[in-house]
Amino acid sequence: MLKTINLTKKFGDLLVFDNVNFSIDKGEKVVIIGPSGAGKSTFIRCLNFLEFPTSGEVYFDGKKIDESSNLPLMRKRIGMVFQHFNLFPHLTALENVTIGPKQVNGLKDKEAQEIAMHYLSKVGLDKRVSHYPSQLSGGEKQRVAIARALAMKPDLMLFDEPTSALDVEMIKEVLDTIEKVALEGMTMIVVTHEISFAKEVADRLIFMADKKIVEESTPREFFENPQTDRAKKFLDKIVNIAV
Amino acid sequence: MQFKLDIFVQNFPYLLGGLKLTLGLTLFAMVFGIALGLGLALLKISKNSLLKWIATIYIEVVRGTPLLLQILIVYFVFAKIISLDAFTAGVVALSLNSAAYVSEIFRAGIESIPKGQMEAALSVGMNYSQAMRYIILPQTIRRVLPPVTNEIVAMFKDTSLVMVMGLAELTYRAKQISASTANVMTPYIAAGLVYLVFTIPLTRYAQRLERRFSKGA
Repeated sequence: MLKTINLTKKFGDLLVFDNVNFSIDKGEKVVIIGPSGAGKSTFIRCLNFLEFPTSGEVYFDGKKIDESSNLPLMRKRIGMVFQHFNLFPHLTALENVTIGPKQVNGLKDKEAQEIAMHYLSKVGLDKRVSHYPSQLSGGEKQRVAIARALAMKPDLMLFDEPTSALDVEMIKEVLDTIEKVALEGMTMIVVTHEISFAKEVADRLIFMADKKIVEESTPREFFENPQTDRAKKFLDKIVNIAV
Repeated sequence: MQFKLDIFVQNFPYLLGGLKLTLGLTLFAMVFGIALGLGLALLKISKNSLLKWIATIYIEVVRGTPLLLQILIVYFVFAKIISLDAFTAGVVALSLNSAAYVSEIFRAGIESIPKGQMEAALSVGMNYSQAMRYIILPQTIRRVLPPVTNEIVAMFKDTSLVMVMGLAELTYRAKQISASTANVMTPYIAAGLVYLVFTIPLTRYAQRLERRFSKGA
């Protein structure tokens, strides 16, 4: 479904990641894990061209995507959930979710609202639809953001550290929501530090460090039997933090 | 040379007649100034470097020269070429001037919206202009309301400069009265009071908005 060949991103002279070859098939759930500064977030932001890769190729559904492609058309098929939610503060929860279907897909108010209500109840927020983002908790905000992305009925979802900005007691509700979406068959790429989530949901785990993909395996293999020293070192650290 | 109540009372209705023109100039100049200012701001933040340069040069030239000079140029040069009446010329000069200031307010406002807002809008498939229209500008307008209100106050006062075109607005009439009554203080103080009746509440209003927005409402 989505593939990168030798994808490289630099900010000026600063190399963010180098020659990343990656692919994901329909229905697959891939978790990207790794130390901060490894380029994980920038990498998934290059997949929907929120950042433009410096070199290399991105293929979506077999078609090469570059700066001259119809990016809005591609982006509406790739949902994205951000670390800091990025809800639209001037719109209610419901309006946050209807605005895409209305303005991008040209749906009438009523249709857009039906779709939005469907996804807001899926994330468990059908009782909070007329609240503004400032009136919602972090976990609720992130669930609205998930509903906003789902309402475009994307083929692929990108999650950029979806629980990193949350208070501890809200992490579970968001992870449960993402897991629910995963169980329904959504293809997804999740950048996260949540090990138990990775073990439970991911078909494949990618360990990114030092600006490249260092290890790629199943989550179980990775956590129980990491192959590289770099991965071992990383796991030592995060296990220590977890304890 | 002193303030004389009888002169004040006698001439106040005539003075107040100029208010219509002052308010009319302010209203039209602000409507066009805001529309043009928003356009300029969008050009200035655009990726097209030619458009960016056009906007930048316009803004620098207008903000770097006196409004009075601009009024004289519009009235004695352009208005003569395309034969504008004095009121229209006044509106044109004031609009062109306020557009430059308003555009900088809008630009700063747009740039103050967190980057994540544009990204979230793009990520649901909006194009740049949809993202601007539905996500960025609605948030910008709330933020720029206080400084734009202050700009309206400035514009309201600046309308006095169009007296050089012979438009009988407040200040022009004050000058007329002072000539006919040989009393300088009374009409000018009276005119000042009329300006204050409008500027003080508007300034207060802007301050209140500012406080409300800074509380994050």
